[in-house]
Amino acid sequence: MPLTFKPWPFLPNPPVMADPALKYVTLVSRDGFEFILEREQACVSGTISRMLDPKNGFVEAITGRCVFENINGVILQLVCEYFLYNHRHRNELNVEDMELPLELCLEVLMAADYLDC
Amino acid sequence: MDNEVPLPPPRRIRHRSPSRARLPSAGSGASFRPRLPRFDDQSSQPSSDPALFSSDDIPASGLENYNAPVSNGTGRKRRYRGTWWGEQVIDPKRKRANFKEKRHLDSGVWMGSDESGADSLLSSDGPAWGEDLLKTTFTSKPPQGPSLLSSKVSASTQSLLPVPILKAPDEPEEHRIARSTVHNCLEKGEETIDLGEAPISEDAYTSLQPFLSIYLPGNSLMFLPTEIFELKDLKVLSVRNNKLRELPSAIRKLTSLEVLNIAVNQLSELPWDLMRLMQAGELKHFTAHPNPFPSIEHAEIRDGVAIDSIPFDHYKIAPLDAWSPVHVATGPVTQLDLEGRRIESSSASVSGHSKSAAPSLRELALRAVSKLPELDLLTDEELEEYPALLIPLMRQVKKIRASGSQQCSVCRREFIMPRTEWIEWWDCVPHENGMKRPRTSGEKLRPLPFKRLGCSWACIPEC
Repeated sequence: MPLTFKPWPFLPNPPVMADPALKYVTLVSRDGFEFILEREQACVSGTISRMLDPKNGFVEAITGRCVFENINGVILQLVCEYFLYNHRHRNELNVEDMELPLELCLEVLMAADYLDC
Repeated sequence: MDNEVPLPPPRRIRHRSPSRARLPSAGSGASFRPRLPRFDDQSSQPSSDPALFSSDDIPASGLENYNAPVSNGTGRKRRYRGTWWGEQVIDPKRKRANFKEKRHLDSGVWMGSDESGADSLLSSDGPAWGEDLLKTTFTSKPPQGPSLLSSKVSASTQSLLPVPILKAPDEPEEHRIARSTVHNCLEKGEETIDLGEAPISEDAYTSLQPFLSIYLPGNSLMFLPTEIFELKDLKVLSVRNNKLRELPSAIRKLTSLEVLNIAVNQLSELPWDLMRLMQAGELKHFTAHPNPFPSIEHAEIRDGVAIDSIPFDHYKIAPLDAWSPVHVATGPVTQLDLEGRRIESSSASVSGHSKSAAPSLRELALRAVSKLPELDLLTDEELEEYPALLIPLMRQVKKIRASGSQQCSVCRREFIMPRTEWIEWWDCVPHENGMKRPRTSGEKLRPLPFKRLGCSWACIPEC
C-alpha cells in the first residue's frame, strides 16, 4: 500500500494544529522542489485530496505539506501545470489538450497513476 | 511468330459513366472477361451482395481464387492459358465450335457423295482449323478490360511519362497528338507549344477518381486489418459472411464509402462512426442484417422513457426524416473510471471536477504515449517489464494504435480511455434499402444499436 505516509522527521517546526481549511498546500518533490498551489486545485488528484482530508488522519492534513518520494521535480512541475490547466478549464467544453513533452510522458503517466488524476 | 510472352497489362482507369461501367470491354470481345460486371454496384439488392448471393458455390468467386489459374474439379469449364497476368478463359462457345469441327474432321462416318469428299474436307477445313487452334493457343493478347484496381498515381504517371513498353493500348488520339506536339517542341527546342484547335471528343476526358471495391465475403475474418481503413477512396466494402465481432471505429476514415455489407457476422452493436458516415458521409447502401443484434424490445432503455412510448411501431414521419436516420431511443449511460473500468451507477460519486470536459492527466499522458514512434516496436515481452500499473494502460494504447484511433462521439476529440458509453438506437431503413425509397408514414421502424463512447464524463447524451 503506497499511501501510508508517516510524518517526516526532518520537517522544520511542524505546526501543532494548522487550519484544516488551509487555502494553500505545498507539494514537495523527491529532489526538494516545492510547489505551492491552492488546495482546491491540488485536490483534482484523488490521492492528494485523500491525504489532505482531516478525516483520514494523515499528517499532511495538518501541515498542508505533501512530500512525494517517488516523483522528481520535473515531473511534479508538469503535474502542477496540469492542476492549473484542469482548474482553469473545469467548466468548459472542447478543451484544448495540454502539451506534454513526449520524452517524459511515461513518467507523467506513472505519476498520474499514483496521484489518481 | 507472335508467341512471345505478353507483357503485363497496363493499369487502366475505370470509367464511371454507367454505359461504360456496365460493359467495360465491349469492343474486346469475349477473350477476357473481367469479374467486375458481376459485382456491379448499381444492380445491388436489398439484403446481400448480388453476385455472392447467386454464386456462393462457385469457388472462383472467393478472394483466394482471384488469380487461381486452374481449379481442380471444375477445370473443364474454366481453363486459363498464358502467363498469370495475361491469363484468359477460353471461351466455351468457341471451344464448342472447335469441337464440332474436329469431330467433323475425325468422324469415321462419312457418307460419300458427289459434291463433298474427304479430300475437299481436308483441303479446305483442315488448315483453317489448324490456324484456328494456333490462334487460340499462342495468341494471348494482353487483356483488354480495365483492371479492378487503378489509382490516381498510376494513371497520372502513365500519361506523363511516355513509357514505350507500357503504352496504353487505347490512348485517345487527342492525347497522342498532344504528346507528339509537346515532344516535338522539346526536341527542337521550340519555346511555343501550340495545341490550338486540337480535336476534342468526349473520350479524351476520363475520370481520374478510382472506383475501389473490396470484396471479402466468406473468409472467416475475425478482425479487419487497419490498412483497409487507410483507403480513403474506397467505395464498396463487403465483409459479408465472416466472423467479425466488432467493427473498428476507424471505419470513419472511409469517407468515400458508398456501399457497405456487414451481413452474416457476429456483430451485436455498431460503431457510432458508422452513423456519422450515413449522416454526413457518402454511405448510401448499408446491409446490416442478418447479425445477432439485440432486439430493442428487450434492451434496456434510459430512465424516463417508457418502452411503450417509443414510437417505433408507427412512426409519424416528418418530411425531412423520410430519408435520414432517425433516433429512436437511448440506452443507459455507463460511466467508466480513469482506467476504463465500469463504475456501478449506485456508487457513482460524481464529484464536481470529474464532470469537467478537461482530460485527465492520465489521458493526456496516454495520448502523448500513443504518439511515441517507438510504441510499435514495443513487444509484449518488453511490456511485461514495465511497472505493473502501466501494463494495462499500455495495452490499451497499443490496442487503440493498432485499430486506428477512436473519436469521442460527442466532442469528436481523439481519446484513449473511454469515460462514458451508451447505446443509441437508430433506424436507417432508407440506407438499408439503398436509398431507393423513403420511409412511409406508419412504417415499422427497425432500429439498430449504435455504441457511442465519450471521452469525459461531460460527454453524455444531450437530453
